[in-house]
Amino acid sequence: MKLTKLASALLLSMAAVSATRAVTLDVEITNLTQAQSFTPRLVIAHDNTVDAFEVGQPASSALAWLAEAGVIDDAQNADSSGANFEAALGPVDTDNGSNTWHRFGGLLAPKATLSYDFDTMDKPLLSVLAMLIPTNDAFVGMDSVEIPTEPGTYTYYLNAYDAGTELNDELNSARTDVVEAGTGNALGGYGLPGVAGGGAPTRIVDLGTGGTGVGAQVVNGEVEDGEDGPVHIHRNALGDTDNAAGASDLDSTVHRWLNPVARIVITVPAS
Amino acid sequence: MKTPIVKLSTLLILSALITACGDDGDTGPQGPAGPQGEAGADGMNGADGADGEDGEDGVNGNSAVYTVQITNLTFAQPFAPAAVILHESGYMAFNEGMPASMGIEVMAEGGDPSMVISEAMASTDFLDAQNSGGILPPRMTGEMQTLVVPELDADDLRLSVTTMLVNTNDAFTGLNAADVSNLAVGESKSFMTITWDAGTEANTETASTMPGQAAGAAGGGGAPAGYDPVRDDFADAVRLHQGVVTNANAFDPSREGLATSVLDESHRFDTPTSRIVITRTR
Repeated sequence: MKLTKLASALLLSMAAVSATRAVTLDVEITNLTQAQSFTPRLVIAHDNTVDAFEVGQPASSALAWLAEAGVIDDAQNADSSGANFEAALGPVDTDNGSNTWHRFGGLLAPKATLSYDFDTMDKPLLSVLAMLIPTNDAFVGMDSVEIPTEPGTYTYYLNAYDAGTELNDELNSARTDVVEAGTGNALGGYGLPGVAGGGAPTRIVDLGTGGTGVGAQVVNGEVEDGEDGPVHIHRNALGDTDNAAGASDLDSTVHRWLNPVARIVITVPAS
Repeated sequence: MKTPIVKLSTLLILSALITACGDDGDTGPQGPAGPQGEAGADGMNGADGADGEDGEDGVNGNSAVYTVQITNLTFAQPFAPAAVILHESGYMAFNEGMPASMGIEVMAEGGDPSMVISEAMASTDFLDAQNSGGILPPRMTGEMQTLVVPELDADDLRLSVTTMLVNTNDAFTGLNAADVSNLAVGESKSFMTITWDAGTEANTETASTMPGQAAGAAGGGGAPAGYDPVRDDFADAVRLHQGVVTNANAFDPSREGLATSVLDESHRFDTPTSRIVITRTR
């Protein structure tokens, strides 16, 4: 993978007498929340023809996969093939003309910081996305920020958005006493009701089980998988204080947040 | 200062002029000119001059002066006295994801910021600090705090502010080493601030754990309900605050609220919780 990347970069630089130069940024991401983990981070350098998400616009299927299930590419979940960001953007770690992208794997735990090297391949804009778990379809987003060219350190604060592709029922996906209305499918990830990530290794507290639903109600053991889009700033989790009853399977003393939910520090190296 | 040597010799080069006196007859021939006099010896060096008088004191010639003013943007969260600190880059009053210092814990749980300031003063990056000393009520703008730093430090200047939201267990707002370098005289910088959870006390929102009026009205509050050395939050780490839960909807079927809370819905807050304006006045 590294070799092909190098080779294509070499070819490119030989083919075009380019005035610009490839810049490898240091991208440092801090999860500022107390109890929401970030799924693998999608980092995209791109031109203005690429828009991973836009407030006021309906979410793409790629954004729905990321925001409901934390899935970016086929390697994470074959069922997402053709509908995920890999399908929308092109191969990973490649100059796809309009963009280049990378999935930084693993969960980013609450309060944790990780930093990565990322080759922008001279694209002018940067977007970053990751799902917040446990939520129905909340994601942290950086929306097409201009990549600075002057060497230095640049800090950005990111808000939590609601993809709008799933009602915020706040029901524990591990529950078997509730199914999707109409289909009878178990709660779970993409295209299904329920909060993902109940069993995530970074969970702060166990999710409850007796919730009757927040943004959608359990009726006779069924809950609908509706939509509440277009993309907008998330109105926050509600939660409750009763693990066996109440409206939500989230905890109102633990799982809420106030924006911003992430800080990104980009370091542009001196050339 | 060396006294310059005064050369006298050039002044002593004189030529003698002799005027002859004759009879009533023809005037006699003019006599020959006398010999040139010898050059005089060089003069001695003069004595050193007296020391000049001291100049007048400069008008803060090498200090930069700043004012800092805080506005409480919340509906019902008074701010405890604020620590306002100017320092160079390198010092941090706290770090997200890390346990709070004891100064931050005392400030965030009980409202007294003096230990935050004394901790800062122990840093080599410290420049100046003020303790605002009073409660800043909700929806009000506080008095200006004035701080003075050496002018040569104005190019690498950071502002840190901490102030407790008193109707909480350990919430505080402020600034964490905000960059205020290179402000011109008369220039201002404004910040809308986020709110941190010190992570040093569980957010039970009970009368016996919060110092503010809400707890006081419920029979608690005050100093005994402030600082407690026990760290019993689910994570001993500073992070952004999730907001107060309050007892709203604690007893309806949603069970959303916190039954132990003495706060009501009016005590909720959202970001930003304060506006902080720094102005360089000299």
